[in-house]
Amino acid sequence: MTVPAIAARNLEKRFGPAAALRGLDLELPAGASLAILGPNGAGKTTPLRLMAGLARPSAGSLWIAGHRAGSPKARARVGWVGHATCLYDALTARENLLFAARLHRVPHAASRVDALLAESDLAHVANRLAGTFSHGLAQRLSIARGLVHDPQVLLLDEPFTGLDRRAAEGLAERLGALRRGRKTLVLVTHDVQGAAQVADTAIVMADGRIARSLSGAKLDAAELERAYLAASDPAP
Amino acid sequence: MNVLLAVLWKDLTIELRSRDRVVAMVVFSLLVVMVFHLSLPADTRDTAPGLLWIAYVFAALLGLGRSFSLELENDAVSGIALAPADRGWVFLGKAAANWIILSAVQAVTALVFALVFDLDLMAVAGRLAGVVALSSVGLCAIGTLSAAVAVRTRFREVMLPLLMLPLLWPVLSGAVHATRQLLTSGSLSFEPIQFLIVTDGIYLIVSFLVFEYILDE
Repeated sequence: MTVPAIAARNLEKRFGPAAALRGLDLELPAGASLAILGPNGAGKTTPLRLMAGLARPSAGSLWIAGHRAGSPKARARVGWVGHATCLYDALTARENLLFAARLHRVPHAASRVDALLAESDLAHVANRLAGTFSHGLAQRLSIARGLVHDPQVLLLDEPFTGLDRRAAEGLAERLGALRRGRKTLVLVTHDVQGAAQVADTAIVMADGRIARSLSGAKLDAAELERAYLAASDPAP
Repeated sequence: MNVLLAVLWKDLTIELRSRDRVVAMVVFSLLVVMVFHLSLPADTRDTAPGLLWIAYVFAALLGLGRSFSLELENDAVSGIALAPADRGWVFLGKAAANWIILSAVQAVTALVFALVFDLDLMAVAGRLAGVVALSSVGLCAIGTLSAAVAVRTRFREVMLPLLMLPLLWPVLSGAVHATRQLLTSGSLSFEPIQFLIVTDGIYLIVSFLVFEYILDE
């Protein structure tokens, strides 16, 4: 039996009396691509942080490639591209990636970093401080950082935010290539077009629950938009 | 161990490039020394150990606070929290970097302190450096842990001394006791050293274990 890349059972997260996530059930096979959409405060980012091991569930279970989420073995299989870039402004692009590679004990870190810089079209700025990068460049470097240890699962929190159209298209192409390379992708986004382009499954969250779930080889952007709007403005 | 070395390398590279922490700490500790010099009588041999450690603790408070605010910029803390190893190694890397930076500041401060208060530290320089280094292990252990907790609170500048200073009391008492012995008699008994070794060990082990939960939300 193949171990799912991500398996959640009755997953809950509470912050004091407030429930951010209520009873999430989810199973994603390796190579799948999931988009999580919903209005602000719907509980989109919470499952992503739980999958990364950056927060602990209040109830339920969550497994990454057969390992309990948050354990060192699960963390080794997860790449994180947060809403912020996780980069150090005072380090160069190469140094930022080298640091991440050393944290993850990547063998032959220097050559892996050089290959990633070339793959991400960042070789020409490898020795520039990350603090001098434009938002688009920093986002590319942040994705390279998340991929430095060749994770099975890549988690992305609002990756399209703040990118111009060209940069967003470039990002969608990069994520498409990762998907074809059998990486499991989970992205939280408000960008319905970007989600439809990248994901084969989408869930629309509202009030900490799945309000609507869609899947298919090619997601229907119009249907996804309708589901998103319905969750954003529920009927009285 | 890889995580420790990676965090140490990263923190020292950033500090060598910017030097903002070390410069602020040196300037601040020297200001404290000058204030003592202007406000206290010339013969301060009895109070010198306490004054020196007050300058060291003030400098440490300034530097330790910055050490974790650096990790909040661009949410870099999430990146290090995802390292697939016990998060205690991240703590040890941060504490080691803080210890190296603080040691450099302490060396400069001791030199100026000796000049200003006309103390001959040459005869005890090696042993004094050992006492300061040993005491600073405990100071950096508890300071790094407190900084990691304080940085996520709303009043982080106030929280760091409130958390750190009470916990620092055993280390400070051992440090001042050992420094006083050296500066007044030129000799050093094993008792305060033994006390500092035990305190450092406890602080390092507890901080290593607790840090796992501090990096969580």
